[in-house]
Amino acid sequence: MINFDLLLKYYPLLLAGVVTSLQIAFMSCTIGTIIGTGLGIVLAGKNKVAKLFAQAYVSIIRGTPMLIQIMGTYFILRSFGIPIPALWSAIISIGLNSAAYLSQTILTGITSVGKGQFEAAKALGFSSAQTIRYIVFPQAIRSILPNLESEIVTLIKDSSLASIIGVYELTQQGQIIISQTYDTPSVYFAIGLIYLTLTTTVTILMSLLNKKINYHA
Amino acid sequence: MLSLKNISKHFQNKLVVDDVSFDVQLGEIIVLLGKSGVGKSTILRILTGLESNESGSITFNDLPLPAQSVGMVFQEFNLFPHLTVEENITLPLQKVAGKTEVEAQEIARTLLATYELTAQAHAYPHKLSGGQKQRVAFARTLAMQPKILCCDEPTSALDPMLTSTVAQEINKLAQQGLIIILATHDTELIKQMACTIYLMKHGKIIEATTSEQLMKNPEKYPFIKNFTQGGTSDTTNN
Repeated sequence: MINFDLLLKYYPLLLAGVVTSLQIAFMSCTIGTIIGTGLGIVLAGKNKVAKLFAQAYVSIIRGTPMLIQIMGTYFILRSFGIPIPALWSAIISIGLNSAAYLSQTILTGITSVGKGQFEAAKALGFSSAQTIRYIVFPQAIRSILPNLESEIVTLIKDSSLASIIGVYELTQQGQIIISQTYDTPSVYFAIGLIYLTLTTTVTILMSLLNKKINYHA
Repeated sequence: MLSLKNISKHFQNKLVVDDVSFDVQLGEIIVLLGKSGVGKSTILRILTGLESNESGSITFNDLPLPAQSVGMVFQEFNLFPHLTVEENITLPLQKVAGKTEVEAQEIARTLLATYELTAQAHAYPHKLSGGQKQRVAFARTLAMQPKILCCDEPTSALDPMLTSTVAQEINKLAQQGLIIILATHDTELIKQMACTIYLMKHGKIIEATTSEQLMKNPEKYPFIKNFTQGGTSDTTNN
């Protein structure tokens, strides 16, 4: 049976966990989007050397488990004498991981824009940066948004991996409550329900945004 | 005067433009005539800077072609689908030509009125007919005040009724002093313009005349005559 009284008693801990989980998800998504956009532009570009580096980065990140990346970032930074807080270490490592995946989303978005659009922009005198900013991205965003939505949902769930380096996110807070109450089913039920609520909310919000952007398509 | 001298271009070992040279005076209309794949569009793309020429030179009044002096109306128009008709015109004016929002809107509204597109100013390109899209493409290009206007197959997406409208518009622009260079295989279009015609085959200009001379003495230009009568330059060149 689910003990709702127990959950009500421990809700401040769960709430603090939710805040930390959302912090990890959205901060790492921001890092991932910024770096992923840069990587995506490089991958869509013509500079072969830069492209090779970007491809190598994507291959390394995609070819290693995120858990290893989280622990690696934390302990490597510490071994270099950088006492980075566990939360920020988790945000950076998850953000860098997200960048590799988002670079592919951005690349797909850029390549979905017709060659004629690039040519029209060039013929009108737009610089490469202006073409990306004013012509390509506003069109590419339509194919980027659905994948970005999946990425944010994944990041909310993956934020639980930050518990491995001692970040008090939702799953870790759940473990603490379990260690005090021994009521594993109630706590995992509550945590699962919270994750589902968060991911469903993101899905609904992104769908609304998607509809708004696709209004003129 | 625009001057192209000994322009050549390969695509994957295939010579698509072969030592092409011609001069164009201000207000002159040049028609590059020929079948698909003879190098007409490539010459326009070289002029616009979308392709580079491997050899030869392009000068304008004996100086290198200035940046932004060539405008291009594409065969598929290439309007920006995420922008309204008015924004398609104002965005390049603001971001490239450095106009203020008010100045850009003023220029756009004047051009939209000229091209009878005022009612469509806030419509998105997918709501426009082929003819309207083309007029927007003309307006967007002309807003940037090019000295040379290149049009790639300007009538390919239009019905015959609209072809004469395009011809009138091109004549009018030439009278205003613009250099116009068209790549087309539409022989109806060239019958309605005072122009210089270059017939192209395998990347080379194989025959040249003016529309006036062609009308007076068509027999003197067998390749062009054959092409305009529905044949191809191939049949007469064998």
